[in-house]
Amino acid sequence: MRNGIRRNVSDRSAARRPLVRTTVAVSVAALAISAGVVATSVGASGRAIKTQTGRAASSSTFVVADTDSVEKLDPDVITNFLDFQALGLIYQQLIQYNTKLKLVPDLATKWSFSDGNKVLTFQLRKGVKFDDGTTFTSADAVASIERALNPKTADASASFLASVTKVVATGKYAIKFELSHPDNSILTGLTSVNFSMLPEAAIKAGTLAKKPDGTGPYEFSSWTPDVSFVVKRNPNYWGGKVSLSSVKIETVPTEQSIASALEADTAQLGLLTTPEVVDALPSSLTVHKVLAEAYRALMLQDKKGPLANVDNRRALECAITRAQVLKDAVFGDGQTIGPVPLGEYASSPISAICPKQNLSSAKAYLKKAGDPSGFTFTAIASDVEDPTDTAQATAVQSELAQVGITMNIENLAGTAYVQDWLAGKFQAAFAENGANPSPYVMYGRYFGAGGNLSTPAGYSSSTLQKLLLEGDTATTTAEQTPIWKKMTKFLTTNAVWVWLFSAYSYGVTVPSVHGFTLAPTTSTTLDALATTTVS
Amino acid sequence: MLRQIGRRLFTMIITLFGVSIIIFLILRLLPGNEVTASLGVSAGLLSHSQLAALDRYFGIGKPFYEQYGSWLGSVLTGNLGVSLQSRISVASLVGTALPVTLELAIGAMLIGEIIGVGFGVLGALHPAKFVDNLGQGVSIFGLSVPTFIIGTGMVTLLASVFHYFPSSEGFVSITANPWLNIQQIFFPALTLGLGVGAAIMKSTRTAMLEVIGLNFVRTARGKGLSRRVVIWKHLLLAAMIPVITMSGIQLGYLLGGTVVVEDIFVLPGLGRLLITSISDRDFAVVQSVTLIYAAAFIAVNMVTDLLYTWIDPRTRA
Repeated sequence: MRNGIRRNVSDRSAARRPLVRTTVAVSVAALAISAGVVATSVGASGRAIKTQTGRAASSSTFVVADTDSVEKLDPDVITNFLDFQALGLIYQQLIQYNTKLKLVPDLATKWSFSDGNKVLTFQLRKGVKFDDGTTFTSADAVASIERALNPKTADASASFLASVTKVVATGKYAIKFELSHPDNSILTGLTSVNFSMLPEAAIKAGTLAKKPDGTGPYEFSSWTPDVSFVVKRNPNYWGGKVSLSSVKIETVPTEQSIASALEADTAQLGLLTTPEVVDALPSSLTVHKVLAEAYRALMLQDKKGPLANVDNRRALECAITRAQVLKDAVFGDGQTIGPVPLGEYASSPISAICPKQNLSSAKAYLKKAGDPSGFTFTAIASDVEDPTDTAQATAVQSELAQVGITMNIENLAGTAYVQDWLAGKFQAAFAENGANPSPYVMYGRYFGAGGNLSTPAGYSSSTLQKLLLEGDTATTTAEQTPIWKKMTKFLTTNAVWVWLFSAYSYGVTVPSVHGFTLAPTTSTTLDALATTTVS
Repeated sequence: MLRQIGRRLFTMIITLFGVSIIIFLILRLLPGNEVTASLGVSAGLLSHSQLAALDRYFGIGKPFYEQYGSWLGSVLTGNLGVSLQSRISVASLVGTALPVTLELAIGAMLIGEIIGVGFGVLGALHPAKFVDNLGQGVSIFGLSVPTFIIGTGMVTLLASVFHYFPSSEGFVSITANPWLNIQQIFFPALTLGLGVGAAIMKSTRTAMLEVIGLNFVRTARGKGLSRRVVIWKHLLLAAMIPVITMSGIQLGYLLGGTVVVEDIFVLPGLGRLLITSISDRDFAVVQSVTLIYAAAFIAVNMVTDLLYTWIDPRTRA
């Protein structure tokens, strides 16, 4: 058949010449067009970069690339990390954390507790204007806090204000919070973008979900969901003139594509979390890194089963080499941690009972627990919630096997994990939890009396509750330090959970960017853009 | 012909109705809800009153049939609903994303046809020669290497060697900046077009080889028709039936392929909108976008069938 076709084709050689010529011409032309577009485009690449950079330089449109996208514009209801960072460019709060994680003034110039620490007074900054041109006064501050307190607003951080019974203006530039009980953690809460200062008129008009109106270095320009969020320089900014006239947060869905955008200089700052992508970047790019405001822990439920026995939990803690887990999960790009990973009360990463892996201690604890040959339990994980979960779990699994402890791993879909986690339906859970400079904020919700997350916490103790309450009532660092040390020791000695590590977050800039540093808290990650310049 | 179109349209409506029910049920059978999807583990920090307010807002707890009836009623009256994440109308989101995906799909199809038909015809006319071997090589590459690898490789190569990644500048429409738009669409279209072209090339080559040896070609020449007419009208037209079939199938699958390619090349199309909405449990958006994909797939098949009928009168019922 094949020969027949060939013969037939051969017989028609004369007849097909025009066809051959035409087809060849069409195909070559088509391929030439394709190659031409590629060649012209690539040939224009140099020009394209210069054009782009030229445009960036002339109009100072600074592009920040992130895999995430801005989801909401109302600062009270946001929960997404990027929303905090983006709206953090527009909005300001009463107080904020500085780069050393100490509370410093923002729109409040000073603050103090009085009346047995049940009244908290703020003096407000003068000469501050909102983007709409109105002046910031105590009426705006009171309206902002009252909006956050209103359940209809569904403020994502409203629980921080649970102790507030009333907020009143005591002058044009002063307000006071009346508290039901002494509550030092309210200060940490007030640094959140969820408690931004908003203009009273915009609150009444109900326009904030569509048109942000703040006092920060930038003002809202445009937002295309899942695509980009653009702000422009606020000419009335009280903190002085900012260099970049416009900042665009561009959604680039994969970190590899962000790396490519940086190499092509179509983005000037890329926010990354994956060490392998960062490690592969060319040396011409500058990598800024900061310990992420989150920590990884193996959360344990102590209600039933082998983990109800404190000595079995201690055996877990002694059998695990945290440094190895860090290495396997994020190539060592982070730090092993204790219960308080950052801030002025940061605890030593050394566990109270096993500073390093100690297999003989682990075996001794197992013997004491009555399980000398080990035990079996299941840990849930979710690569969707945390892409490093599988690596963490596998590393821990092999470490525990050395002392006869069998850990089964159940890798769940994101929402299934969240559901089981919230319901406490697990024996152990690999979790990435939010870290905070305030130990009370970190653990009050898990181990405090009536904590919202006491179910997933899986552990309750009156001693722990008492320590948390004492720490929250104390108002000075000197008073708080010994209390948080005691709490840390309690958590590690009783192996309530096993704290593993915190990884780095990365901000990568192109060579033309100067003066950018990555801030240590989510809300302030992009704050340095106010002082960043592009050459 | 009109009767056939009417019959196909009726089938299309029934199919879309079935798709809408399946999508609606599948989304709600998945664990979690809109609150846990958007807040994650932070949902545990909500007070009871906040949770109740959000449940009311998202319509959680209402019976399935009530939710479905409400949604379908809105869709039939042209209201696709509002995105619960961005609080922007779904019609507006789709209206922004659909042209991007359409442009990408058309571009990919065009490149696929040029590669596929070009190499297919040349390969059939020069079997086992250089051009045929080249075409076969391109075809094997396009069929065997996954789209996401071609796309990622292309992006990495262009960015690291040529410092060129036009898509990441932020998508611009063809009316706003035609040259930048062509650059932004060309590479993702080429990525998708390679796979499409590979399959079309195989079909074209095989069909041409089968037709070229048939007697009707000799008969046509014997009737005194010019060579050009014989070749273009009889030979190529007869070989086009399997090519059109393959093109229709490829266009359908190509719509699915845009989901991955839009992610890699930073194109704000329907595929990216779908992925984001699924992870956010933004049901209104997922349901509408899925229906659009289903409708497009069915429409492509319908047009393919109608094209047969037009090209080959023997297939008319």
